Amino acid sequence: MSNPGAGGAMRLREFTSFVAPSVLVMVGLLVFPLYRTLEWSLERVNYGSPGEFVGLANYGQALTDPRLGRAVLFTVGITVVVVAALLVCGYVLAVLVDRLQRAKPWVLGILLISYVVPQLVGATMFSWLFDANFGGVVNYLVSQLSGQEVQWFTQPWPNRMVIALSTVWFLLPFAMLVIIAGLQGVPTEIIEAAKIDGAGPLRTHLSVIVPSIRGVLGFVAIVSIMDVLRIYDPLIPLAPQATQIGNESIMLYIFNVAFRDGGQQLGLGSAINVLLIVLIGLMLFPFIRDVAREASQR
Amino acid sequence: MGKIRRTALAIAVAVSVATALAGCGAGSRTASSAAAQVTCDFTAPAQATTVNVLAYNSSAIDPFTNTMVKSCSRDQVTVKHEPIDFGGQVQKTTATLAGPTGTYDIVETYSFVVPQYASQQKLMPLDDLYNEFKDRYALGEINQSMRDAMSYDGKLYGLPMQAQTYVLAYRKDVFDQLKLTPPTTFAELRDVAAKIQAAGQIKYPLALPLLASADVATGYRAALNSLGLDYVDAKTTTPNFDKPAAATAFQELQSLRPFMDPQVTTFDQPRVQQQMYNGSAAMAIMFSGRMNDLTQPANSRFAPQFGFAPPPTVQGGTVAYNVLSVDGWSLPTNTKVDPKLLFQMIGAAVGPDASKAAIPAAFPARDGIMTPQSSPYATAALQSITTAPPADPHPWTSQISTQTTDVVASVILGNTSVPDGLAQMQQISNKILADYR
Repeated sequence: MSNPGAGGAMRLREFTSFVAPSVLVMVGLLVFPLYRTLEWSLERVNYGSPGEFVGLANYGQALTDPRLGRAVLFTVGITVVVVAALLVCGYVLAVLVDRLQRAKPWVLGILLISYVVPQLVGATMFSWLFDANFGGVVNYLVSQLSGQEVQWFTQPWPNRMVIALSTVWFLLPFAMLVIIAGLQGVPTEIIEAAKIDGAGPLRTHLSVIVPSIRGVLGFVAIVSIMDVLRIYDPLIPLAPQATQIGNESIMLYIFNVAFRDGGQQLGLGSAINVLLIVLIGLMLFPFIRDVAREASQR
Repeated sequence: MGKIRRTALAIAVAVSVATALAGCGAGSRTASSAAAQVTCDFTAPAQATTVNVLAYNSSAIDPFTNTMVKSCSRDQVTVKHEPIDFGGQVQKTTATLAGPTGTYDIVETYSFVVPQYASQQKLMPLDDLYNEFKDRYALGEINQSMRDAMSYDGKLYGLPMQAQTYVLAYRKDVFDQLKLTPPTTFAELRDVAAKIQAAGQIKYPLALPLLASADVATGYRAALNSLGLDYVDAKTTTPNFDKPAAATAFQELQSLRPFMDPQVTTFDQPRVQQQMYNGSAAMAIMFSGRMNDLTQPANSRFAPQFGFAPPPTVQGGTVAYNVLSVDGWSLPTNTKVDPKLLFQMIGAAVGPDASKAAIPAAFPARDGIMTPQSSPYATAALQSITTAPPADPHPWTSQISTQTTDVVASVILGNTSVPDGLAQMQQISNKILADYR
């Protein structure tokens, strides 16, 4: 005779043993740092000494600093441009690569190189394309064609363009790869049906394929928004004068404020971090809502 | 299945190539296998001991670090050093010295930051250990002014290994062709630069490291010191940014801009080196530790054409547009390893053999090691060190430098007027100095 309770207890033990490591990792790497960030955002903190409670003073200081406003504007602006470019270019590239036959794995492999190179290294190499000191092929071509010397690293808009291009170059393989996976899940029957109904290629893509992979595109948008909102690494080689020309991202601003400008302002840095988390939540909300809605409909 | 395999293979090849390329630049600039083997004569501790060393990688520092790692890892003692750049060292030094325990047992420090850390009692005074081991490691041969530069309040906090001072590098072929001589003042510098510019071959003949987030502050301080002024009047603990020379220093630096690349505020020292390598500049003022690279034919076809001279003064006088930065080894107060053991390691690492091995990349702190025959730029470096302002022994200097960097950059770029910039710098400095009054 079997004991009905024994199976349940075993399942609970197994469940606990499988889930516990993940919970521990999440608490250690996510919940605890988040709690500490919130705590420090209300304190004046230096390395190695306990924080001193200052209430909302750090938030007040952050929100009255015009540099934060400029950093938010720059970061949100570049996020919107880069994510739009990633969705459009990623889709086009995915469609083209998906049509390939024997060359497909090799083309995919080559296209992925920019994604696996550390972003700092990739951005440094990218900066050389625009740097006359290092031969700067793009700089040379632009100056030959326009007859003007563009100051890619000291003028705000050319510099923004370089940063955006570099970020698209880095993230495009990811977008393309995910969209290819989405394309392979689109039933051929509905594409055939659209053709029979007289839809041209553009209409088929816009009215049939894109709506079919809306969830995939939403996923690409969510991940890309989170990535670009936290942009930091590429700005080191690409925007050495970021603070002076208004191309300081929120993460770079946090680093400068917390560790560089005033020495150790970890409390202020934490407060800006909390504000960044709120901003990320706000920007992701429409996409998360869509994905959640789609999931609940299934 | 075959398709998946091919895809996986292609991706693996791409990842491997990228990883290999990315890894090319990592690690030491000087091979550790080429390090000097010296006697590191400590009594082995009873228990296995690991000594963690924090030191940034550069061709001037590596010979000393590598000597320590190679010579002092013996018996039960392991000396560990991980590659790191200068910026990383700055961050990790702050973190490791902060609390009651730290990650590192030996830290590379430099004269600019020693007063600040020493005043906060984060570094051990080394005088007793210095006296105990002076004869064994011939420490008396270390230059007195360099020891002074690593001292605070009369106590030694860092054992000097090498010094850096500004040197003017110039293209001899260009100077000979135009019958020019190396400039000795900023007025001559402008004159020489204008003549090279007028000759039409080199559009921006002068290259200075004036990176807006770092080097620009060093440049401004060098100009200020050459005009006879420090950041702060130490007697009254008041900032000097309301003095006329503070404005003159800005005006003199701004007067050089027409002769420099319009993007000069994005140039750190490697970029200035690059300008010299590719011939887009004919003169550069950088730290002596960067000069050896210029003499390497593998780096530039102009290598045989580079001449070296001491840097010019801003407006005459005896102090040049110059900085004396002394690098050395310090022991954190919070290390748990026996200080005697650690001191013998740093003593061995700055010994005569290690110092000789560091030539020509470094300017060792030992008297008589660097001679005019040591390298093509040795004569210029030896002359330059006599024109450098004395190291600033005050703990506030590095704080003021860091916190005013953005203002200095803004003034040099013309985004902020000189009077407004100086007023901001005075305000920032007063806030810092309030803790010291």
